[in-house]
Amino acid sequence: MRPAAPLLLLLPALVLVPLLLALPGLLHGGGWDLIADFAAAALTPSLDPLVLHSLLSGLGVTVAMALLGWGTSLFAGLVLGLASSRTIWRTLLGHELPAQLIRRLLALPRSIHELLWGLLLLQVLGLQPVVAVLAIAIPYGALVARVVSDLLDALPTANLEALRASGAPAPAALLTALGPPLLPGVLSYGGYRLECALRSATLLGVFGLGGLGTELKLTLQSLEFHELWSGLWLLLAVMLALETGVGLLRRRWAMPRRLGLHQLAVGRRGREMVLALLALVPLLLLLGRAMGVEPAALAHWQPLPGLASGRWQAVLSLPWPQLVSGTLLLTVLAAGLAVGLAPLLLLVTAPWPWARRLLGFGWMLARLWPPPLTLLLLLFVLKPGLITAALALGLHNLGILGRLLRESLQDGSPAAEQALVAAGSGPRLALLYGGLSGVARPYLAYGAYRSDVMLRETVVVGLAGAVGLGSQMLESLSSFAWDQLAALVLVYALLTLAGEDLSDRLRRRLLRQA
Amino acid sequence: MVRPELAAAAPLLELRQISVAGRGRPRLEQLDLQIRPGERVALLGPSGAGKSTLLAVANGCLRPDAGQVLWHGQSPERSGRKRRRQQARIGTLWQDLRLIEELSVQQNLNAARLAHWGWPKALLNLLLPLETEACAAALREMELDPALLPQPVTALSGGQRQRLAMARLLRQQPSLLLADEPLASLDPRLASQLLALLLRQAQAPRALLLSLHRPDLLQGFDRVIGLRQGRLLFDCGATAVTGASLRELYGSEAGGP
Repeated sequence: MRPAAPLLLLLPALVLVPLLLALPGLLHGGGWDLIADFAAAALTPSLDPLVLHSLLSGLGVTVAMALLGWGTSLFAGLVLGLASSRTIWRTLLGHELPAQLIRRLLALPRSIHELLWGLLLLQVLGLQPVVAVLAIAIPYGALVARVVSDLLDALPTANLEALRASGAPAPAALLTALGPPLLPGVLSYGGYRLECALRSATLLGVFGLGGLGTELKLTLQSLEFHELWSGLWLLLAVMLALETGVGLLRRRWAMPRRLGLHQLAVGRRGREMVLALLALVPLLLLLGRAMGVEPAALAHWQPLPGLASGRWQAVLSLPWPQLVSGTLLLTVLAAGLAVGLAPLLLLVTAPWPWARRLLGFGWMLARLWPPPLTLLLLLFVLKPGLITAALALGLHNLGILGRLLRESLQDGSPAAEQALVAAGSGPRLALLYGGLSGVARPYLAYGAYRSDVMLRETVVVGLAGAVGLGSQMLESLSSFAWDQLAALVLVYALLTLAGEDLSDRLRRRLLRQA
Repeated sequence: MVRPELAAAAPLLELRQISVAGRGRPRLEQLDLQIRPGERVALLGPSGAGKSTLLAVANGCLRPDAGQVLWHGQSPERSGRKRRRQQARIGTLWQDLRLIEELSVQQNLNAARLAHWGWPKALLNLLLPLETEACAAALREMELDPALLPQPVTALSGGQRQRLAMARLLRQQPSLLLADEPLASLDPRLASQLLALLLRQAQAPRALLLSLHRPDLLQGFDRVIGLRQGRLLFDCGATAVTGASLRELYGSEAGGP
């Protein structure tokens, strides 16, 4: 009695049952007028030149932070990725050990969310532009490195061996055999990372690192919804332009789609891709100058306030089991919500094209809106706690997963679905049987990867109070309890590494059966 | 031409003055066609003549730019339950079969019942083997072993897949059978076996409209329609088709029977 692919796709949605049951108890009664004001303000954003000017300059800072952090991570990730590739070490030295070592080392920066990096660096370096850039560049660089080395090691090595056998020197053989097939995969992933970087830069702003995120949070906290929506519409415009631009480039360069990471096509226009990559360097340097990023500032460390040692007793007395289980529960709820709701909503809206468009728009807002802001908004009507935090985190990721699912459905063949409609089945059942069957396994595999991301992201909704390691970390950070913080970061890192391993296994299993 | 006892029954499919626009010239132009219960009609024509377009109009996948489609004497409902009931009576055998690769043989067979099933049964079908006896009967009808029911579709051979697609068609219990070049990619022996099975199913009150590009396989059909450049060139009994009319149909690329 094994559930078939389309049913498998609906299973994560079961998490909605406890969520919906718990929801009535979470309402604290008030706040609906605020939600109504907020919704109404969407159509009447503030057009005050003063407001717009400050929002636009904030947006400029956010975009610059995102670009710089992303660009740095891309170059660092490429270098580190090459350095942790088994194929490369084997060809150059005949040994894989250094690759393994670098891989292990890179796991730590990768396992810590950019927000934590930002808050930690903020303590050490003080508030300056370079903090946000580094906060994005460090974990992203490690992530890019992993993807690059995975892509590299998954490439067939027959060409490489042929070149080596004919006497080509190792570096030249590597570049010729592996460079062209690697490039489209890296650029496709890089484009996706740029979208993530914009979201991260906004998020960092919400936590006070400057830019549009800071403005959004201030306007929300002071209930200036009209000004808030001016900022949101601006952000939406930039995000839309970015997503469209990345999509166009992806098609132009025949790059692989994200759901089909494995069908590596050799991209066309290789020279164009390399030139675009090289053109990034001067652009980023100029941006860095304009933003006042000072590499020299990295040398000036501030003394950490109130650094006390020998309080390990206090560290041990933290409620570790609750912290860990809270974090895991939050992840499971948010992941079930995001992974399960996307196909469910597509099924519900299947008969109505207008509802589909509305849904797409809602998803765009959801992925644009940083989770802590969603959380603040939810707190207008809901009590703080684990479920409220899970809702905020889940809705954000729903926006990302939903778009991916819709795109992969559009890319797939409509033949089976059309055949079912022609045989008289309704549009919803036709979508379930004909459309969703084909994308179920790759989508769930991506969902497994995304759940791992959500585990890392739980810190972002830590503001909801008492929801696991994230909340405790924010608390320890604001009370300068460095020993606690160090222990928490370590446990968190271990947890995310275990989660990464689990999601990798799950992903491989799902894709093998496909 | 048409057998007299059939002429009286109401047509299962009636096309009146159907036109479908295309790039340059229309894909179908003012086409009239009636198919009555018990008729087995072959649709001939060179590539690009509009055979697939005609079938897509007939099964409701394509709405014509002009003209009227009637199923059992009624025009298609716009949408909703009534339309689904109408669609359920039209069974299409697609050239690419359109089996759902991720599902088992039995689940694929049962997919043909989705027009009549509600959500609970449709979901249950993805978990448990439902209506096993009816599915096994459909397989036996197509000379397939019922032991194949729990197999994934991907485990079947090419010939088995063809028969499964036809078994699914039977499971739908349609009255009008449409087939878009079902014999195109088959070797001659398999093609004639398959055609015999299809013709056997197309007894009154059913009818069959089948497009093919092999004039040598016309025996067993009651009627032959020749389509050229979106227009009806001839519509006659199968025995009345001559080498001359085929040469005219296929133009320079003609191959007689």
